[in-house]
Amino acid sequence: MSGYWLLIPEYLLLAGALVSLFGDLLPGGERSSAILGALAAFAAAAFAGFIGTAEPLFGGMLVFDPVSVFARVSLAALTSVYLLWSGGRGTGSERSHEATALVLLSAVGGMLMCGARDMVALFIAIELSTMPAYVLMGYRRDDDRGLEGTLKYFLLSMTTSLIMLYGFSFLFGITGVTGYAEMDLTGAGVLGVLATVFVFVGLLAKLSAAPFHYWAPDAYAGAPTSSVAFVSTVPKIAGTVAMIRLVEALSPGATQLPLLLSIVAVASMVLGNLAAYPQLDLRRLMAYSGIAHIGYVILAMATNTNTGLAAAVFYMVAYALPSMAVVMIAAEEGSAVEQLSGLVDRRPWTAWALVVFLLSLVGIPPMAGFFGKLYLFTAAFGAGYRALVVLAVLMSVVSAGYYLRIMREAFFGERVSTPAVERSIPATIALVLLVVATLGMGIAASPLLGYLGVSF
Amino acid sequence: MSETVSPVMFLILAFATIGGAVMMLSTRNVVHAAFWLLEIMVATAGLYLLLSAEFLALVQVLVYAGAVSVLVLFVIMLTLRRREDAIRPYEPSWAGTIIAALFLGALYMAITRFVPVIAEMPEKVPGVADFGREMFTTWMLPFEVASLVLLAALVGAVWWSKGGDGR
Repeated sequence: MSGYWLLIPEYLLLAGALVSLFGDLLPGGERSSAILGALAAFAAAAFAGFIGTAEPLFGGMLVFDPVSVFARVSLAALTSVYLLWSGGRGTGSERSHEATALVLLSAVGGMLMCGARDMVALFIAIELSTMPAYVLMGYRRDDDRGLEGTLKYFLLSMTTSLIMLYGFSFLFGITGVTGYAEMDLTGAGVLGVLATVFVFVGLLAKLSAAPFHYWAPDAYAGAPTSSVAFVSTVPKIAGTVAMIRLVEALSPGATQLPLLLSIVAVASMVLGNLAAYPQLDLRRLMAYSGIAHIGYVILAMATNTNTGLAAAVFYMVAYALPSMAVVMIAAEEGSAVEQLSGLVDRRPWTAWALVVFLLSLVGIPPMAGFFGKLYLFTAAFGAGYRALVVLAVLMSVVSAGYYLRIMREAFFGERVSTPAVERSIPATIALVLLVVATLGMGIAASPLLGYLGVSF
Repeated sequence: MSETVSPVMFLILAFATIGGAVMMLSTRNVVHAAFWLLEIMVATAGLYLLLSAEFLALVQVLVYAGAVSVLVLFVIMLTLRRREDAIRPYEPSWAGTIIAALFLGALYMAITRFVPVIAEMPEKVPGVADFGREMFTTWMLPFEVASLVLLAALVGAVWWSKGGDGR
């Protein structure tokens, strides 16, 4: 049993979580626990970048290949930026060091999910990554609406976890193994399809893909906006990696999988984009647009080619960066779209940063989102999903409508409102880092994709 | 260990399990239903014991009969305002019946058509000691991560139960 040192990033995050649980005792009060957590997560990202080995660890339970290294680094780095930002602003009336600890624990689960190639390891990692998310979503204990949204999220997420576990139990019963490497579903017939459907229902619900999306808008709208910035982005990166691994492992036996994934992709793209249009609350809008973006990612997964799967992970990170930033800005300026009006007079730099993030979400070059979509659609087109790619491009045009509406409000809105939260230095650094990452990931898209083992 | 399990014991336990399930679903009193659930859990543990799966039987009694049933009773105790609320009217729903029937049909078809990969029984039935050794070597990582899940749940439970003042 060697290989424990390869989990150094997880140990760092865990150490940060345990220390920040005792945040009152730290010098500098509870805000220092968030900054400490940000440092731990940054160190974890740095270490995760150096730890890459195609050798299976722990009897094949974890594999750190380039795709999972990329996802682990992005996940830890985004956690670090998030904690830096939340360290600057705190969590309103509630104290914040439990939130820091929970964010770090969730990140540990996400990091393990990125490497997991075994059903047992995957399930327990998913639980570790979602369990803190429930608490974060209901972090304000005096807010009844938030607690109602949390309860909905908790019950639905638990139910889908159990459906997934039910599917896993069938897979184990059919194949007799829990590792993906020896998993072979060929010849399992109807039971194999049933098991595959159960497993993917669970994962799709965690990623809030249609038709398992309905918890997301309510849960996000009720939750503290600062928690939404984390929960709606970071765990989804890990979820995407977990899902592409299962697509790889189960595809040979379940021939209907591409069809099922295409249906989910179309439903998510159309429903997410159209439902985002009339939303007046930024959290609800981002929830629906998140459903739409997951639709694009699943379209690439349906191809089940190395190119498509790597493009899916790349796109998920390219989506998570600006999406987290937009929700962060919403947390500071107020969560209704109209509260952004007059942002350009009030905080010109934030307004221009918002432009960068929204254009990246629409998919305008040279932002990360453009390259993400380019690779995604090229992969799907190459695999023969021509009609679906045309639909996806049309839907991205539709999405420009509601993203530009946010921009119009920020630049030409009549009403001038006061910001909800004062901007602090760490929060400014966090937003600057996200702008740099959104632009930089676009510029470095080609070498990054090369690292993921894909060339266009 | 005998080649086949005792048919008399099996029939008694199977009757207890299925009969308990029918009783649980047909009783109108939620407290009674909770006790029938407890009975089903214990009977299932007996079935596991019959198959020489001691550890599974142990876990079944500890987790399901011990923890889950008590949790259900606690929830009933905390949420019922009056004693009469424990008795719920019977509301048959066609949609529910159809979904249940479809699910049963699909599952039945899938299981009967499926040819099991592992047909032969292992030479030696692994005991609790083998299980423990396996759990703390091969499955060390998931085992440790499970403790972190519990830690996160604990922090959350303390957070929500500590009242509203916050500091």
